[in-house]
Parts: sequence; C-alpha cells; structure tokens
Amino acid sequence: MEQSQAAPLRPIPLPDEFTSEFWAATREHKLSIQRCRTCRHWNHVPNLSCRACGSEDLAFEQVSGRGKLYSWCVLNEPPGPGFRDMMPVIIAVVELEEQPRLYLAANLLNTSADKLSLGLPVRVTFEALGDECVLPQFELAA
Amino acid sequence: MWEFKDKVAVAGVGYSKIGRRVKESLASLTVNAVDAALADAGLTRADLDGLGTSPSMPRYGGEKGHTEGIDVVDPWRLAERLGIGEQMGWTGSTNGMVTQAFMDGAMAVISGVCKYAIVYRALHVPPGSYVNFEAKYAEGSEQWHAPFGFSVPPSWAAVVMRRYYELYGYSRADFARFIVDNRSNTIKNPNGYWREPLTVDDYLKPRMIADPMSVLDCDIPIDGACALLLTRTERARDLRKPPALVSGFAASTHPIPPGGSFTLEDILQGSDQVARRLWSATGFGPKDIDVAQLYDGFSIFVVTWLEGMGFLPKGEAMAFLREGRGALDGELPINTNGGALGEGRLHGMSHLSEAVIQVTDRGGARQVAGANRSIATISNGLEKATAFVFSRDA
Repeated sequence: MEQSQAAPLRPIPLPDEFTSEFWAATREHKLSIQRCRTCRHWNHVPNLSCRACGSEDLAFEQVSGRGKLYSWCVLNEPPGPGFRDMMPVIIAVVELEEQPRLYLAANLLNTSADKLSLGLPVRVTFEALGDECVLPQFELAA
Repeated sequence: MWEFKDKVAVAGVGYSKIGRRVKESLASLTVNAVDAALADAGLTRADLDGLGTSPSMPRYGGEKGHTEGIDVVDPWRLAERLGIGEQMGWTGSTNGMVTQAFMDGAMAVISGVCKYAIVYRALHVPPGSYVNFEAKYAEGSEQWHAPFGFSVPPSWAAVVMRRYYELYGYSRADFARFIVDNRSNTIKNPNGYWREPLTVDDYLKPRMIADPMSVLDCDIPIDGACALLLTRTERARDLRKPPALVSGFAASTHPIPPGGSFTLEDILQGSDQVARRLWSATGFGPKDIDVAQLYDGFSIFVVTWLEGMGFLPKGEAMAFLREGRGALDGELPINTNGGALGEGRLHGMSHLSEAVIQVTDRGGARQVAGANRSIATISNGLEKATAFVFSRDA
C-alpha cells in the first residue's frame, strides 16, 4: 500500500529575512546571489554582513548560473521520505563562475555518476517543489 | 609557549557500558562513567567540585531530542544526581564540542576555582534513523541542504573524500588497509563497540551511505558516556594512576564554508591554523609526536588531519596509510584504540582518553612501547575543532 502512493514532498526551504529574495528569484527561474555594495564580494549563503568586509549594505544580483563541478557524492538510500522516487540522488557542490570559492550545493540532474569529474562545466536549471517553491538545480553544460 | 604547559593533568578515565538501545537511562550511564573516572583516580564524589560538557544531541531533520536524562545530560542536573551540587566550583556547558569543555575544565583547574573537574560526554541513539529528514520545512542553514538531500552529515564528508580522491588519484581501495587495521586495534580495546575483525573485501563491498562514504567510514551512534578527571599535575601525582600531562591545546576559528558545507581546502586551512597554534603553545612539532589520535567520526578526517597538522605533505597521507605506516607497529601509530570508528560516537572523548591511556602505559594489548607524547585532534579543522598534546610525566 505504502509503496504505491506518491512520495511526500522533499523538505521545503523556509525563507527568512536573509533568504526570501533568493527564493523569490528562483520562483522566477533566476539565480540571484547576495552581493556587497561596498566591496562587491558575493556572499552565499546570504548573511547579515559581508564575509569579506563586514558591511551590512548588501543586495541580491542575478548571476549567470554557470559554474564548475567542485565535488559531488551519490546517495543510494533516500535521505528523507520525499526522495523515495528519485534515487539515486547526485549531490553536487558547484563553484559559481562569478568568484573563486563561491559555492552552491544542489542536485545534478539528467546525468549519471560515472560521467562526472572535477571541474566539469555545469549550468543552473530550475525544478518546482510543490506549488510554493522552485529549487535551483544543475545539469552538465553541453 | 603556554605558561601552564604540563601544569594540569588527566588523572582518571571512566567509561560507562557502550551499546545501542541499552536499558539504562543516559543519566545512569553518565553517573557510571563519572564514578568510574573517580575510582580510577582513587577519589570519591566528595572530592569532585567541577563538571563540564556539551549537552547536545547531534541530529538533523528529525525530532531533535532535548529530554534531560534521556537525550542529554547537563552538568547542573548531573551535579544534583551525584549529590554534589553544594560543593561545585565550576559548572561548564559549551555550544562547541565537548573538547572545548575540556579546555575550559583545564583552565578552571589551573585558575583554582575547582580542584577536581570531570569533563564528560553522554550520547544517546534516538529512535528511528539519525539521518532521515522527516520535517516538512527546512529552516535556517538546513534550507540550503535538506531540499537536495544534503542534510546527511556523511554526505558533507563524502564531498571532501571525493575531491581528495579525484585530485590525487586515489580510490577507496587505498583506504582499506587503514580501516581493517583500525578494526584490529578496536578488538584490542575493551571499550570498543565492534568485536569482529574486518577484511579488505568487507570494506570494498559495504553499504554505501553517500558514495564514496560507506557505513564503515562513519562512526556508529551509541548509548554511552565517557568521563575524564582533570586536576593540577602536582595534585595528580598523589593519586592512584600516573598522570597524563596536558602540554597544550588549540582551537580552530576557520569558518565552515557557508555554501558548500565542508570543503577539502577549508578543512586543510583550518587544520593548519590549529597546527600553528598547537605547536606554538607546546613548543613541539610533528616529529615530537609518538602516537596520534585523529578524529574519525568520518574516516577521511584522519587523512586531512595528517596533512593539516604537518605530519605529511598534501596528497601523501593516503599513501602513508595504504603502506601501513599508521598501524600499531608503524612509524606513527594512529587511533590505537580504534578511534570513533571503533568505540562509536563519543564526539572526541575516544581520542582524548586514548591519548591519556597511551602516555600512561595503560593500553594493554594495544600499548605502543615508548609512547611519550600523543596528539589528539577532534572534529575536522573547521570552527570548533580542537587539538591537544598529552605527555608522559617525566
């Protein structure tokens, strides 16, 4: 009985005062990252103050969505009930092209683990999670 | 050099029963560990006037478990239960790992606010899976991880392991000898959780948790407690067992990289920061260390600590382990009690206690002859990670 039912949703990110603009942008299929207006440093995950200069004058700016595969791992067991129908899950840590060591973690879609190596070019894609959320995900760039 | 080098010592080690789903409450196990540490030193509860710990439950995405005495044991309730509340000079409770409480305990003893301090860690296996993210929403830092299945702590270590393997051309096969030898060390340790030997084949065909991390690369959650008794060295010399001198310690302030969880480069930078602080505090360096207790809550941290602390150049630690040079009879015996992979999840207490045991010649079948100095490193080099040198009393 249990197996025939659709899996429940994966955990839904709950936007807060620092992150609501990030998640508002993904709903419009845009990847926006917090950036310091004082020193122009990109900060992800969003923070109260710039990690480079300490300024609290921060705003979100759209990025290209391109980056490189920094590292990855593969889950063969669901990390929660909502992942039951999408195994195996590839978790990718992506280094965005805008700044060295600007990392974003997501899933790598539409590929298999045996095709992966460090530094592969990737690009953002978007995946709806229920009615209220869109996740930024990645796929290998052609 | 640290002004109080070798002036404080560990004079007692106590373990409760270690198991999974044991009948006794966590509070009872903790009392047992404290009484064992006191007895080891020839003391009683009437002597004890300091207690410290980090009373947290490391669980993600499920019901966290805050019930006092069941999931956690805080030092105030423990003092009450031990009947020593009226005599306490120091009660410490840190948000860092318990090894930060150990540093606080050492400083409390040196400062004179207490004479005999016990630092303890009590950990409980909650019902269900540790890593099953059942909550509907992912809040705070979890919003960047849980929607992608990246809420499983072994997956954070897995991306470190993957990058190391890919950068330097290693694979899991290169790690097998260390893991197999580590199990042999565990079997020589009466406090070890695992009692059966492992083969290389066992390591190469295990359940994968977050490929390339397998179940044999993770410490197992256990019910149990470990307690260490600290006092001034001059006082420790009058007690039942030889003291293990605290030559110095250091802690990391290198931030966890926010977007990517753990990264190899940040872990090595953080470890290097800890190394500089530790060698500066103690006046020692890697060549002065006889045995090494390197945190292995996730196996790959043994590799990153070896490189981060300066024992080996970058990219060479895995080859060192592959060649058996970290075995009990190797040039730098590592995790001589089986570490956390062998004793289970005690959040660094396994490493501190074994450093004490080795420099006081109490290791029995796993004793390394001439172990005058042991390092113990805990966590992964990022913020809240700590490292210690324990020395034999001259």
